[in-house]
Amino acid sequence: MVDLSAAPSPPISKTIDQWRADAEAHEQAGRFDEAEALLVQIIEAAPAYHPALHQAAILSYKRKRSLEAIARFERVIQLAPDVALYHRNICELYRSQSRLDEAVFHGKRAVELAPEDPGAAYNLGVIHYDRLELDQAIAAVRRSLELDPTNASAHFELAEGLLLTGRFEEGWKEYEHRFDLPNAPPLLPPNDRPLWDGTPMPNGVLMLIGDQGFGDTIQFCRYIPELAKICPNIIMAGSSEMKPIVMQQAGITHYFDRWEHMPAFDAYCSLSGLPRLFGTDLANIPAPIPYVQADPAKTEHWRRRLDTLVPKGYRRLGLVWSGRPTHGNDFNRSMSLRKLAALAELDGVALLSLQMGPGQAEIGRYFGRAPLINLGAEIEDFTDTMAILAGIDRLVAVDTGVAHLAGAMGRPVSILMPYAPDWRWLLDRTDTPWYPTVTLHRQEAPGQWDGAIAKMIETVTAER
Amino acid sequence: MSVSNPTLCPCGSGLRPVRCCRLDLSTVGPSEASRHLLPLVDKAIEIHKKGGLAEAAKICLEVLELAPAQGGALAILYQIRRVTGPLSAAEALIRRMVALDPNNVWATQELALLLFGKGDFAEAEAHARNAVRIAPADPQSHNLMGMILTEANRPQVGEYHYRQVIELLGQRQPILLANLAWNLKNQGKMAESRALYAESMALDPTILQTVLGWARMEETDRDFVRANALLDQAEQLAPGNPSILLHRAILCGRTKEYDAALAILDQLERQSEGGGLGTNELLEKGRLLDKMGRFDEAFAAFDAGKGKGVEQSGTVYLADHAHQLTERLSRYFTAGRLKIVPRGTPIDKGPRPLFIVGFPRSGTTMVEQTLSAHPRISAGDELTFVNDITNLMPRMLNSPLAYPEALADLWMGDQRDGLDNLRDYYLQRARQLGIVEPGATWFTDKMPLNETHLGLIALMFPDAPIIHVLRHPLDIVLSVYSNHLTHGFYCANALETIARHYVLIADLVEHYRREMTLKYLPIRYEDIVDDQEANIRRMLSFVGTGFDKRCLKFHENKRYARTASYAQVTEKLYDSSRYRYRHYLKHLQPVIPILEPVITRLGYTIDG
Repeated sequence: MVDLSAAPSPPISKTIDQWRADAEAHEQAGRFDEAEALLVQIIEAAPAYHPALHQAAILSYKRKRSLEAIARFERVIQLAPDVALYHRNICELYRSQSRLDEAVFHGKRAVELAPEDPGAAYNLGVIHYDRLELDQAIAAVRRSLELDPTNASAHFELAEGLLLTGRFEEGWKEYEHRFDLPNAPPLLPPNDRPLWDGTPMPNGVLMLIGDQGFGDTIQFCRYIPELAKICPNIIMAGSSEMKPIVMQQAGITHYFDRWEHMPAFDAYCSLSGLPRLFGTDLANIPAPIPYVQADPAKTEHWRRRLDTLVPKGYRRLGLVWSGRPTHGNDFNRSMSLRKLAALAELDGVALLSLQMGPGQAEIGRYFGRAPLINLGAEIEDFTDTMAILAGIDRLVAVDTGVAHLAGAMGRPVSILMPYAPDWRWLLDRTDTPWYPTVTLHRQEAPGQWDGAIAKMIETVTAER
Repeated sequence: MSVSNPTLCPCGSGLRPVRCCRLDLSTVGPSEASRHLLPLVDKAIEIHKKGGLAEAAKICLEVLELAPAQGGALAILYQIRRVTGPLSAAEALIRRMVALDPNNVWATQELALLLFGKGDFAEAEAHARNAVRIAPADPQSHNLMGMILTEANRPQVGEYHYRQVIELLGQRQPILLANLAWNLKNQGKMAESRALYAESMALDPTILQTVLGWARMEETDRDFVRANALLDQAEQLAPGNPSILLHRAILCGRTKEYDAALAILDQLERQSEGGGLGTNELLEKGRLLDKMGRFDEAFAAFDAGKGKGVEQSGTVYLADHAHQLTERLSRYFTAGRLKIVPRGTPIDKGPRPLFIVGFPRSGTTMVEQTLSAHPRISAGDELTFVNDITNLMPRMLNSPLAYPEALADLWMGDQRDGLDNLRDYYLQRARQLGIVEPGATWFTDKMPLNETHLGLIALMFPDAPIIHVLRHPLDIVLSVYSNHLTHGFYCANALETIARHYVLIADLVEHYRREMTLKYLPIRYEDIVDDQEANIRRMLSFVGTGFDKRCLKFHENKRYARTASYAQVTEKLYDSSRYRYRHYLKHLQPVIPILEPVITRLGYTIDG
């Protein structure tokens, strides 16, 4: 019997490649359900036709179904073990799931099969970086850049590797490629003014641009007073959120947060370009701590609020467990509140959540012994955050803006670090020249937080 | 077997719907228009007096067919239906009388009494209050207030009204004294209660209810010997009376003579004509069987008890109301909005509330007994004030909107300190109750399901400690199912609705915690059983006071908690109260899919 309600089976007038191309067109146009339905039909009809399965794996990836995507890629590779592209794709997926052993295996296989493919070499470099195999990482991205010197991502990856291993001079140079990264917004609207080259400008107006994330802005705004000595007319473009922090640095004559308010200027420079222009290396990192302070009236308000919220005699531990989810490396640096269960077992400790954004949802599902107080619900901006930081005993945080802020204020901070950290935290050390009051607790293996958390708890309990 | 006539009103009055529940009151003519029917009404009154119920009813129906608002006929027919049933008809008729003439004292009092009998205390109270307004010097108006508020867990206010009755009557009637004694028992004032029972018995030793009430009071005060002696006395008054047997069974249960208790209940069942055991008896039987380890039989008794309850009261879970309220609360209480909502100012002097929240049967009573053994913490018991404030809010904030939307009026220039007014109302009511003992800094409020209003609580009392008692959800559902409770939109009448309401409130609490800065401590009942001292210390230090050894011996706390939990909290902590659900896994199967996500979220597992 014919079921008229079912989709008609594909007429035989088209080739299987044409059908697959149709599916791809659907996928490109965002019609994921149609693409999926068509691909399932093709795969059913021709199970050995791996391009369709590959297409399906990519579709799963685009639909953020990582496990399904991995399963499909694995099947593709079984069918066609010698297609470099398949290995190249699956290795990035494994990496996003912190399955680095499998990632590096397929990354190497992709390079073997396609030694001339700059993408494969780059992917392998990234995986080596995540595994902290830094010499191999640097070698792989250098190879990728030999094949394609225009790949900004590879330059940036090289910069990360060089900076992380303390090779600052070359590192800073490569770091300048960050503005060419795919999806990087333009630093400023089109204009005819030059990028500042570091020569003193006693008369001209220098426009400083607060690029990158909050953490970068907080970290690098320490250079502003020094900069003002050679460029006394600094105007600053930055987000409104950062204004109360940045404006504490002497030497800014004007701050604006919308390009349509941009005044005239003679040269421009990104804030994150200052370490390079000041020739920063391990020996001369400036740390004029504290260079950020909380507002006294706000501090008093929060002191009183915390006195009513926190039981008397309890130690006050600030807590931030996840960063901005749109950050490229967020899956690596953020964790779930649940992971910090050991912290919740401590007696005489109140956990003060400074968590903002989607991570706040986890507070409602916390049932640990230590009281957890959701301060985020009453935080309006960074002036509140600073006032709270001024009144707590220690901040425990992942690598996110609030950790920088507490460091810049000279407050005791424990930062929980992924195995392969951002370049600024360097290697194999628990301290950082950027922030003397910060202690780093590093993962001992990729994706494994337990060891880092145990070390953090040791630090916290030793202080009692 | 009677088949209801489809042309008659479903309420069972015997009238046609258009002359009864579907009557349009605006079509009712003036009473003079039906004056020619008065002789018929007089005749009905005459016959009714002589006991001719059927004939009197027939005449009333005839009169009401012609003049459906004829007061005399309504009154007679109402009285007949109260006796013959159905109760729904009596209720419809008396409601109609009140609607037609809101100043009719007798009808208002009757309606209040009928609703009280049904267990609908909230509406009963509204009508009793009207009765006091219309007839402030009528003892019956105050007597109703006394009865209703005593049972609605505001015995202090009830006591005031009972004492008004004594004053208005100018004499001490034995039944009234016994009612007041029951009220005082509920306040834990045992000595005063005992004296009143003695006085009442001296005046009239033949009233069974008085003897039973006294026996119950002695049982509560743990004088089981005296309670037994009183039941012997009752036995002489009314040999084989089922109420006496039930009391005996409860007493045996408390002295752990489970077999004897069960035997009494069986006797009760054999004795009853047709109907079998009632709700309370069946639930008691189930709890006894549970203690004896006869779990299948126990659950069957719970099923039967709850089934009977629904059959008799007709009350089922008000799912729509519950959903609507929680949805509106989640929509109102969001971090973004609350940033611009003012807060109550901190209390600068005097005792302050300590909220113990949790689903019924989570262990809130035990936590209150524990904490209130501390000299700086007084027990407030289940205070209704938060709920009252949600009802009063539109008036107090002069808002055209209901709670929670009425909070929008806090943005008006003349309502900026509205939350202070609400807060002061709460504190004043607490003061009136006289619950705070000298030297106490805190008083507890352990109204179950107050967590529904965590948002409002935190707005009024931004720094009040909130202790949320958690317990394995399957244990809670089981325990609620084995007890008679009206909390939570009547969810307690069916296993599935208990589970659904539990999830609804758990989600709401999660929402509040995400959106608000709360001084909130979750505490697990199981942990308290496991390590009592550590967890008491944790709660006390969270509240902000030092440890006191007396809290460890809370079962010696002489204070009486009037809720269903009282029999347990006067016993030492016992391990068998944890994970009791394991004996009932197969019975609880239907609710496991509903509860599983929240069980996991809370960090519990389901073990066989």
